[in-house]
Amino acid sequence: MTTAFPTIAREAVSIEIGGMAIALRTQDPSFHRLIENRYTGFVGTSPDSHLKFDIDLREPSESSVDDDLEVKMEHGEWLLKRGDFRASWNPETSRGRIRQSCNPYAIDCVLRIVHSLVLARQGGFLVHAASAIRGGKAFLFSGVSGAGKTTISRLAPPDATLLTDEISYLRREGNRYIACGTPFAGELARVGENCSAPLSAFFLLEKGLQNRIEPVGPSEAIQRLLRNILFFAHDPELVKLVFQSACEFASLVPIRRLVFVPDHRVWDIIR
Amino acid sequence: MAERYIARSKAIAARMVGGEMMVMSAVDSTFFTLNEVASTIWQAADGRTPLAEIVAGKVCQEFDVDPERAQRGANRFVDELSQHGILLVSDQPLIDSSPSPERP
Amino acid sequence: MSLMAEMNQKALNLGLPISVHLDITYRCNERCVHCYLDHDDHGEMTTAEIIDVLEQLADAGVFFLSISGGEVLMRRDFFEIVERARQLLFNVKVKTNGVMIREKEAARLRQLGVEQVQISVYSHRPEVHDAITKLPGSLKRTIRAIQFLKAQGLKVVLANVLMAGNFSDQQGVIDLAKELGVTYTLDPTITPKMDGDRSVLALRIPGSDLKQVFHNQELVGNVEEFCAPPPPPGEDVMDGFPCSAGHTACYISPYGDVFPCVQFPLPSGNVRRQKFIDIWRHSPQLEEVRSIHARDLPTCSTCSHVGTCTRCPGLAYMEGSMRGPSTADCEKSFQRTGIPSANMLNRAAGGYAGPLIQIQALANSSLDSAFPI
Repeated sequence: MTTAFPTIAREAVSIEIGGMAIALRTQDPSFHRLIENRYTGFVGTSPDSHLKFDIDLREPSESSVDDDLEVKMEHGEWLLKRGDFRASWNPETSRGRIRQSCNPYAIDCVLRIVHSLVLARQGGFLVHAASAIRGGKAFLFSGVSGAGKTTISRLAPPDATLLTDEISYLRREGNRYIACGTPFAGELARVGENCSAPLSAFFLLEKGLQNRIEPVGPSEAIQRLLRNILFFAHDPELVKLVFQSACEFASLVPIRRLVFVPDHRVWDIIR
Repeated sequence: MAERYIARSKAIAARMVGGEMMVMSAVDSTFFTLNEVASTIWQAADGRTPLAEIVAGKVCQEFDVDPERAQRGANRFVDELSQHGILLVSDQPLIDSSPSPERP
Repeated sequence: MSLMAEMNQKALNLGLPISVHLDITYRCNERCVHCYLDHDDHGEMTTAEIIDVLEQLADAGVFFLSISGGEVLMRRDFFEIVERARQLLFNVKVKTNGVMIREKEAARLRQLGVEQVQISVYSHRPEVHDAITKLPGSLKRTIRAIQFLKAQGLKVVLANVLMAGNFSDQQGVIDLAKELGVTYTLDPTITPKMDGDRSVLALRIPGSDLKQVFHNQELVGNVEEFCAPPPPPGEDVMDGFPCSAGHTACYISPYGDVFPCVQFPLPSGNVRRQKFIDIWRHSPQLEEVRSIHARDLPTCSTCSHVGTCTRCPGLAYMEGSMRGPSTADCEKSFQRTGIPSANMLNRAAGGYAGPLIQIQALANSSLDSAFPI
């Protein structure tokens, strides 16, 4: 492997979310710094990450006009495609490549996708929800854009640790789920805390005239959950697995409707 | 163009391993490896020999590379290493080029 | 593979000793009950001898230099040695009890660019810690040293050796480490004395305590993963070596003796009589250590833990054979996974767990009876 140019190799940046580390290796020192800064709080120190990606900072040769994200499995490799990047990941070897222009949003996307693929195999998932830890217990607040995720996050009292206002991370551990902080910021544009706690309740948000918690029928619960789970892959086997995971989740975790007035008093009933 | 003088920082740990240099910053423990060409430049960084001369003399002699590209590559490499504080760069010769290890 | 792991692999392929542990004295101001050393000075290397060794090590390609003892600060030339080591661009780690470290010493260590200082703490309670070190007031001074070192911005690692007398204080030490802002590491290994005396092994924590440690999520992370039964070993496992001792690492005593490791006291040469590089490359003892792959271990190669065991060949050597089992590691693997080792099973069955080829006393004494083991 001879090159006539002086090159420097550095340790990859290891980003640890939900206990799983992904190492990102780039030759470009300023991009390396950019990633380190963007994921502050989640940059791990353990040298041996489970998954490793090499980043190639060049415009993807086939820049498609189509901006939509595509994730599919081909010959044992996951292929991830969007307007600004191309990536591949081999789940057997845990190695992958990302070819992208010099922006961090591609990395965000690849990290979310890879984590969701790994979580899918173990019964967990990413979900459109805000999450916070209070009293050692985690609470999730789900809903589509405008349902109140950012609102309820902004209203959180000092004794609540905000994990995220947009994308929650749930890892399955036996018969319980652990909510983990992630660096993926929503409107609050604030990187979440890198901590985790067992999930106590999953709330479906609804703005209303008073603060109350209502039961939710099982089929509505599963439907609403499925609508909010982030899953990108066009893979029938995995999709089925995610559906099963959602059903198991509904049987193990209390899913309730949280009707709330957008002021701080709602947090009085979240315990 | 002004001469560039380069000198290895003393606030490091370093050792050659099969033609490549392993370097670790004594300030923040960042770990690097330098390929053969980079190692050649590194070892010649005595604070007295201008970079251009190191490249023309050592790099182009030992490696099959176009002199102009070699100079550009060397300049980029020197900029990167100096950003990490492990190579000192100046337009004057660097005599006694050792900072105390606690200064980055 | 991480960059560091890549360089380690390269060093292995090239046969380079990139790590050396150098003990500069066995003298100590403490007398820890579990210590494996003879603290009398039987003629330590002089300053000039040590500096010459350092220069030889640098030429041989050594990068990681761990300086320890005994207590390193008992040597008046300690800082002179560290300074020369740093001039030679070693990555220097120091192990010390810290009792003699105050602000001045901490500042000097920082100025010299020492990468890490490791300090042993046996308990958060002075009465327990001091009873182990046999030095009244030692915990107080050790903690103060940690504070001085941290104030200088040095990386400090707190090493907690677990033994019978301090096991119940483990959480206290973990909390102390957090409070001081230092990394906590634990070590449940008690090593037999270098002179062969194994009585100190009575201090080892019992299996049930080991099991508790291995199932502590705070210490091991994902308990399910850590304590999972071993996967069936592949061919690459059988090709493997147990550790870096003799391959990319070795040990040098204050008397110049070279061993594969401080815990593997197989005399392999002496730097007072030979050049280090000649010992490293040509010592018959080191060559023998290098020749031993997992497949060459009679009992361990048949064990389900062969790919995952922490087997220390030094402890095995001290138990009788560098190709034999290390019962301390059998116990660890068993307590971690619940699955007994091949050695444990052999002994339980009352079987002879020794070499496969037995020495037979032949009736016809004109033949040499010994078969090589």
